[in-house]
Amino acid sequence: MLTRAARVDPHLDLETYDPGADLMALNLGPQHPSTHGVFRIKLYLDGEIIVKAVPYAGYLHRGVEKLCEELTFIQIIPVVDKNDYVSPMMNEQAIAMTCEAMLNIEVPRRALYMRTIFAELQRLASHLLWLGTFGMDLGGAMGGGASLFMHCFRERETILALFEEVTGCRFHYNTHAVGGNRHDITSKFSRDTKTTIEVIEKRIEEYVQIFSSNRIYRDRTQGVGVLDGDLAVSLGITGPLARASGVDHDLRRDAPYHIYGELDVNVFTESAGDCFARTLVRLNEMRESIRIVREIIDSVPEGPILGMRPGKSPTHIKIGAGQHYTCLESPRGELGTYIIGGGDNRGASAYRLKIRSPSLHAASCIPYVFPGHTVSDAIAILGTLDPIMGEVDR
Amino acid sequence: MTGHEAQEQFVALLRERFGVAEIPDGNYPLIDARHHFELARVLKEEFDYRIYSFVVASHHLATADANNDGADVEAAHYEVATGVRCVGAPAHLASWRVRIELDRAIPTLFPLFAGADWQEREQYDLVGVRFDGHPDLRRLMMPEDWEGHPLRKDYAIDTACSPWR
Repeated sequence: MLTRAARVDPHLDLETYDPGADLMALNLGPQHPSTHGVFRIKLYLDGEIIVKAVPYAGYLHRGVEKLCEELTFIQIIPVVDKNDYVSPMMNEQAIAMTCEAMLNIEVPRRALYMRTIFAELQRLASHLLWLGTFGMDLGGAMGGGASLFMHCFRERETILALFEEVTGCRFHYNTHAVGGNRHDITSKFSRDTKTTIEVIEKRIEEYVQIFSSNRIYRDRTQGVGVLDGDLAVSLGITGPLARASGVDHDLRRDAPYHIYGELDVNVFTESAGDCFARTLVRLNEMRESIRIVREIIDSVPEGPILGMRPGKSPTHIKIGAGQHYTCLESPRGELGTYIIGGGDNRGASAYRLKIRSPSLHAASCIPYVFPGHTVSDAIAILGTLDPIMGEVDR
Repeated sequence: MTGHEAQEQFVALLRERFGVAEIPDGNYPLIDARHHFELARVLKEEFDYRIYSFVVASHHLATADANNDGADVEAAHYEVATGVRCVGAPAHLASWRVRIELDRAIPTLFPLFAGADWQEREQYDLVGVRFDGHPDLRRLMMPEDWEGHPLRKDYAIDTACSPWR
């Protein structure tokens, strides 16, 4: 029998793991509610204990990167919305920021403020969705499964209503353009935002009470799915997952973009690295997002929202040879875009476009974290990893 | 240390120890494939670049010789860009490119960064570049029996595929 530490080398043969034991292979997924998408993990079980976990990605692969080589830079923004479909604003911003950096376009300050507000509201909506589905994953542990889910979706809906007011869409906004934004905000948006975040702020405290007083919840999350900080950064894991493992790293504070350089962004870390720590970090981030929105919502400057002349043709943005990588802090970590310019349509398409998705890195820790836990723990761990399959497979 | 200073330090490292003469504007530095692993090791162990950020492979066809004078013709090749990042401020990204011929392999970074496992599998799957010493170089996104590598430039976006292979 190997020790736990030796077991978590994902490349060992199955025979080396447990020579004598009669392992049972169990397929978790591809269509299992806890995967929040289509993802398959082959579990090798000794009784109820997972000995080895082999994830298989690619069930939702849509060839977005190939498609982006075919479409022009203006056409790809609504396409990348569907990658991380829980936070589409971030996908748009990541593409737009890379194009702006390559073309040396300065984004107007009003657009930067709007992007920051959209990003923080989106982070709040994304974490709310995570919290609701996590409550459902844990089933009875959070007061009967679907109740927390319904609460969180009620709050998330109010944020989507704010976005709908600005862009006309609940989900796939297509509101960012290279050089700025396409839809301007009004004073009504500011008023509605303030009322909305006030309500959500109160409700978050209610959710915290549901957790902190719940013995079953603590038992199911404390000490479960411990991810080592060094392993996390070596895997390229960033965002709340890494911060829950004690990695003090947040691109909003450390490599500021938009107007984060002028704000004091508080970064919350926990040292335990288990499911409970990841919950605490995300809850604190929700409070912090509310604080940031409240701080800047009244000081949005007047002015233009697009830093370049709008064009009528879908090919009017052309990027020559060269390559660039820009990234931002999405609700799941470092979301970046690597563009090699000088592609088809005389430079209006990318030669190669790669989306660096934080979810793929998060999912790659499964073979290291799952062994030694029971199948029910696996569901809790998968819930706190919060991988979005549209982004894992792209 | 600011991001600017970190970049200067990275450029100085490339000049002094890895023989990079100049870094063209708007491009990441191009280094020799022999130095690829060593550069990543030095960055991780001596300069604390511990976050594995990205690896991007791209396929380049041979450039046509328009004037037929034999100048500036490039053979078909792969270009692999790698980025690693340091933890905490200034979160500087060190990024470099490597060029290799189509029949050659590039050393894997898996012994340094566990994240290279899946990322390099993805690039192998989609672009076809092979990583030397990778423990488990299988396809990640496409089905195991898929033919060809979709992100290659000689792979048309409307390539027919049979649903019952």
